[in-house]
Amino acid sequence: MNDPTAAPALRATAVEQRFKGTTALQDCTFDLPAGRIAALVGPNGAGKSTLLHLAAGLLRPTGGEVRVFGSEPGTPPALGRTAFVSQDRPLFPQFTVADTLAAGRRLNRTWDQAEAERIVRAGNIPLTARIGTLSGGRRTRVALALALAKRADLLLLDEPLADLDPLVRHEITGLLMAEAAERGTTVVISSHVLPELEDVCDHVLLVQDGRIRLAGDTDDLREAHTRLTGRADPSTPDGLPTAADRGAVVHAATTGRQLTAVIRNAPGTRRPAGFDGTADTPWITATPSLEQLLLAHLRAPAAAHRTEAAA
Amino acid sequence: MTGTLWLAWRQQRLLILAGTVLLALCTVWVAVRRADLMDAIGGYDLSRCKGWNGTCPPEPYEAMFDAAGGIRLLGTMGLLVPAAIGMFWGAPLIGRELESGTIKVALTQGAGLRSWFAARLGLAAVCAAVFSAGLAALTAWWWEPTANMLDGVYWHDPYILNTTGPAAVAAALFALAAGTAVGLLTRRTLPAMGITLGTVLATAAVLTFFRRDFVTPVDRVTAGMTPKQLIGSAWSAGYRYLTPDGRQHPLENCLFSGEELRRCMAEKGFSGRVHKVYPSSDYWTFQQIDTIVYLVLAVALVALTAVLLRRRTRLV
Repeated sequence: MNDPTAAPALRATAVEQRFKGTTALQDCTFDLPAGRIAALVGPNGAGKSTLLHLAAGLLRPTGGEVRVFGSEPGTPPALGRTAFVSQDRPLFPQFTVADTLAAGRRLNRTWDQAEAERIVRAGNIPLTARIGTLSGGRRTRVALALALAKRADLLLLDEPLADLDPLVRHEITGLLMAEAAERGTTVVISSHVLPELEDVCDHVLLVQDGRIRLAGDTDDLREAHTRLTGRADPSTPDGLPTAADRGAVVHAATTGRQLTAVIRNAPGTRRPAGFDGTADTPWITATPSLEQLLLAHLRAPAAAHRTEAAA
Repeated sequence: MTGTLWLAWRQQRLLILAGTVLLALCTVWVAVRRADLMDAIGGYDLSRCKGWNGTCPPEPYEAMFDAAGGIRLLGTMGLLVPAAIGMFWGAPLIGRELESGTIKVALTQGAGLRSWFAARLGLAAVCAAVFSAGLAALTAWWWEPTANMLDGVYWHDPYILNTTGPAAVAAALFALAAGTAVGLLTRRTLPAMGITLGTVLATAAVLTFFRRDFVTPVDRVTAGMTPKQLIGSAWSAGYRYLTPDGRQHPLENCLFSGEELRRCMAEKGFSGRVHKVYPSSDYWTFQQIDTIVYLVLAVALVALTAVLLRRRTRLV
């Protein structure tokens, strides 16, 4: 895991995915190092699920390439190390829970039956219950048990927490954390709800309009930005000081006379260029929270879009 | 492989059970009815009953007549079996997995796509072959004692020609392959079932109406007005008139009989009559045509399905 020459858990190189004339993903390039817990975030329809399907080997990219630990997704070496829970939690409806786990046991080279049964039992789901009779949340639990018991090195989870109640959400999150901590599993969790992942992930992939907008370590990304709050400059239309380098501004908004802006730091410094402040307009500077950072990027005008990466 | 085979069995066991029960019921029914038939015709010399022009004592004739209804019913089932296999086994084989999204579960476990598809289609194909072969054997077994007899069931009737022999098995395999491919292309079970039904019935109809075009019938030539050779168990392909130069002319030239026919033939210079027939040995020629066409189509459809699956074009 600490070997710098080891293949990343997930690598996308100039990936493009088209569906009948529409482009779901384009120009997607990023590395996800092994052992990370990555939040795959972005608005609905941004391309999150497409990206996960590509990594799971259920889609072949129309351009570029995806690699899972150096192997092509869908090939036996990649399949053996990847587990995937799809957004709609498909499971064989006529199977019982026990059948479903038996399928996992028989179809996978590595399988932890005790772990699978423990996760299912923790939700008070009888092993004899038919999948078709389970509620959405319970089906999610069985789907997660199927994925976690596989003991994969890369867990791809598409909105795994969406239909779980807060208590179960907490429990499942804890389960994923423990898995990642004990086994060094790489986890990719997609969500369009930013706060539910903020405390959990140490890596972020922000997708918008089919492009990767941000990719990297959460702390590095946060440190590379500054959140400024101060009085809006009345002499400029955007409220920013005249000398400010507007190319560094991710997003700025004025509320009344107050200006809030998230700004890229100048290279090699902890401070953005051109925002030194003056005696009569002091700036309050802070490192943005992950949510503030992601929202700023999501709100940024489309023309300013560009991929930012931090290792 | 064992894992994917287990999954295939677990998902198809209801169909396999249903097929086994149906075949067992058919076997009992055929065994009872055939035993009745054998009792009724036992002790009679049936060699004179063969063919359209045969003559037969009344008792075996009645028994034959009784059996013919049942054989036609069994033959009708045999005609529908490929369509049923295509609709209920082929169309959902991949179509339902796509519709419910469960293909995402199946294909993201450790076993690869190739093993999953091979186990699934392989089990279905073996079952389709066994069930259709069983039904074909039952049909042939029941039909054989009174085959090609009087106004009973003949080898060239679709009840027999399409439902017995290797062609019946090939038709079932073709229907399975067609349903599988259509299910992948439509991604919905119900439309796939409809399209499969249409495809299978249309292919059977095309073969039934056009396979004769690929086989040259035998000419039975009779000179002048002398009584033509009896048709026997052959399959008539129409009459022609013959001129001394050896050329044949359509029947429409003289649509008469008796004295009028003699006058007409003399007027037009016809020296004899030709009866074009397919002898009953052509059963195997027609079987060969059907079998080859069905198997080639089946292999092409399976190859198409495999290529589309490999490309992961329509899985998500």
